[in-house]
Amino acid sequence: MSRRVSTQALIARRATLVFALIIFLAPILWLITIAYKAKRDIFTMPPELLFTPTLSNFSDVFKFFDIPELIGSSLIISLGSAALSLLIGVPCAYALARSKARWTVGVAYFFLAVRTVPQVATLIPFYLMMRSLGLLGTWWAVIMLNATLSAAFVVWMMYSYFRSLPREVEEAALTDGCSQFGAFWRIALPLVRPGIIACTLFCIMFAWNDYLIPAFLTRTETRPISVALLSAFGMLDITWGTLGALAHFSTIPVVLLALLLNRYFVQGLTRGVH
Amino acid sequence: MSSSLTADDARARLPFHQRRRLFLFLLGAPAVVYVLIVAVWPLAQGIYDSFFDYSLLHPANRHFVGFDNYTALWTDDGARRSVIVTIIFTIAAVGLEFLLGLGLALLLWRDGRFERVCLALLLIPVTVTPVAVGLIFRALLAPEFGIVGYYAADLGLSIPRGFLGDPHTALATVVLIDAWEWTPLVALILLAGLKALPTDVIEAAEADGATAWQRLRIIIFPMLLPAVFLALILRTMDAFRVFDIVFATTGGGPADATNVLMFYAVKQGLQFFNVGFASAIANSMVLVIAVFAVALIFLVRRADRRANET
Repeated sequence: MSRRVSTQALIARRATLVFALIIFLAPILWLITIAYKAKRDIFTMPPELLFTPTLSNFSDVFKFFDIPELIGSSLIISLGSAALSLLIGVPCAYALARSKARWTVGVAYFFLAVRTVPQVATLIPFYLMMRSLGLLGTWWAVIMLNATLSAAFVVWMMYSYFRSLPREVEEAALTDGCSQFGAFWRIALPLVRPGIIACTLFCIMFAWNDYLIPAFLTRTETRPISVALLSAFGMLDITWGTLGALAHFSTIPVVLLALLLNRYFVQGLTRGVH
Repeated sequence: MSSSLTADDARARLPFHQRRRLFLFLLGAPAVVYVLIVAVWPLAQGIYDSFFDYSLLHPANRHFVGFDNYTALWTDDGARRSVIVTIIFTIAAVGLEFLLGLGLALLLWRDGRFERVCLALLLIPVTVTPVAVGLIFRALLAPEFGIVGYYAADLGLSIPRGFLGDPHTALATVVLIDAWEWTPLVALILLAGLKALPTDVIEAAEADGATAWQRLRIIIFPMLLPAVFLALILRTMDAFRVFDIVFATTGGGPADATNVLMFYAVKQGLQFFNVGFASAIANSMVLVIAVFAVALIFLVRRADRRANET
């Protein structure tokens, strides 16, 4: 339909897009820049675009926070949640996609439904259970609860990937003497690699960006960076500059990962949501 | 199936289709069992708790109260306020995100390098930690030094406590922040829908002299409806349980103006330890979202059937 669109219309259209880009990106760029501003420059009014960059906010962040520990916690929680979700989710999706029984469709919808449950409904009882098990404040508690939502996501998304694979290749392999596990592991799995990458990206993103679950299930030594970021707000000695520097560590890794794996990210957003 | 396949197998006596069923069952069971134990069991526990007056601060006082915790959602002033705030927030945020998202999707609906790069960059807000989003806007809107706050005051829009600090503007401001983070996702879903439309129909209408607005209203929009419903349902479910952005910007205030249900439930349950009441709020939210989940499943099933027919 774009054949007869005039150049003028195209320019107007792209100008609007550029305007939208500014609206959607300026706040993030601003967050990045305040991290390099000295305290007095942040408060300069009107705000100046040119300023002498400083790294003092970063040295402050390292002084007030154990950054390696916070990033370590975030990594353990997100990689742990992703690993557990993929480990149980991918085989289940395969089983549901390959099963010929009609009721398995219902099981797939059950996972879709689990994904829609608001976290607070499971978090409160789960919090009490972890308390009585003595697991409160551990990474295990966070990973376990995260993995319910992300495993449900993985099952639903990989179900659609496995179903779009032709069964014939696997069936031929099975008749040729390939074991059932071999047909799953060596034939089906490599063909859905884009789906696995997208799922891993999303599991990591959910867990890394989540606040509510780790806020109540971790303690100071096990908290991830998202929790530290908000608790830093309102602390004495913490300025917006230090918050901006701290946000570098919490936000930029995931943004870069999503940009780097943009194809898989878009696939996950359009395919995984339904 | 061939006999070589089963030669050394201990379960050789089982026919192939039965071994196949067993294998698939063993692959599928762990995830189902896991979700039953770690999600469904706590959910059931929460339903049970919601029928009790149960506070962790006075666990000995726990007693059965029937549906009292549920009726309190409307009879209790704070809870009723929270229900209303949540409904307003959800409708306003989803409506705004839909309108802006549709606009963006139409602008991006062209297969060029420029559009692809734009889309990738526009999706960045979706990936930013919601708590950080809240903090960014809190700083931008701060009355004394935030850039937006500063220029708004310049334009005569002076609000002494800032947009987030005034009970009249706080909810609208949180809606705008939510729209900033999630409009790109709506745009992406609608764009995927647009790209799947048959181009010949649209080109035919164009050749017949239909204006851009007529094409959109009469031809494109009706065909786009499944994607529209999908975007609306998904965003409604998420907006209804918004938490992080509210927590990081207003903390439910000022004067409970942004005290959405999710926030109210978390506060009641994990801060005041009114487990019974908090569970009732949470379960009511599950019920409302379940209606949308059923609609979602219905929609997905229909799309699925269509895909299988063609």
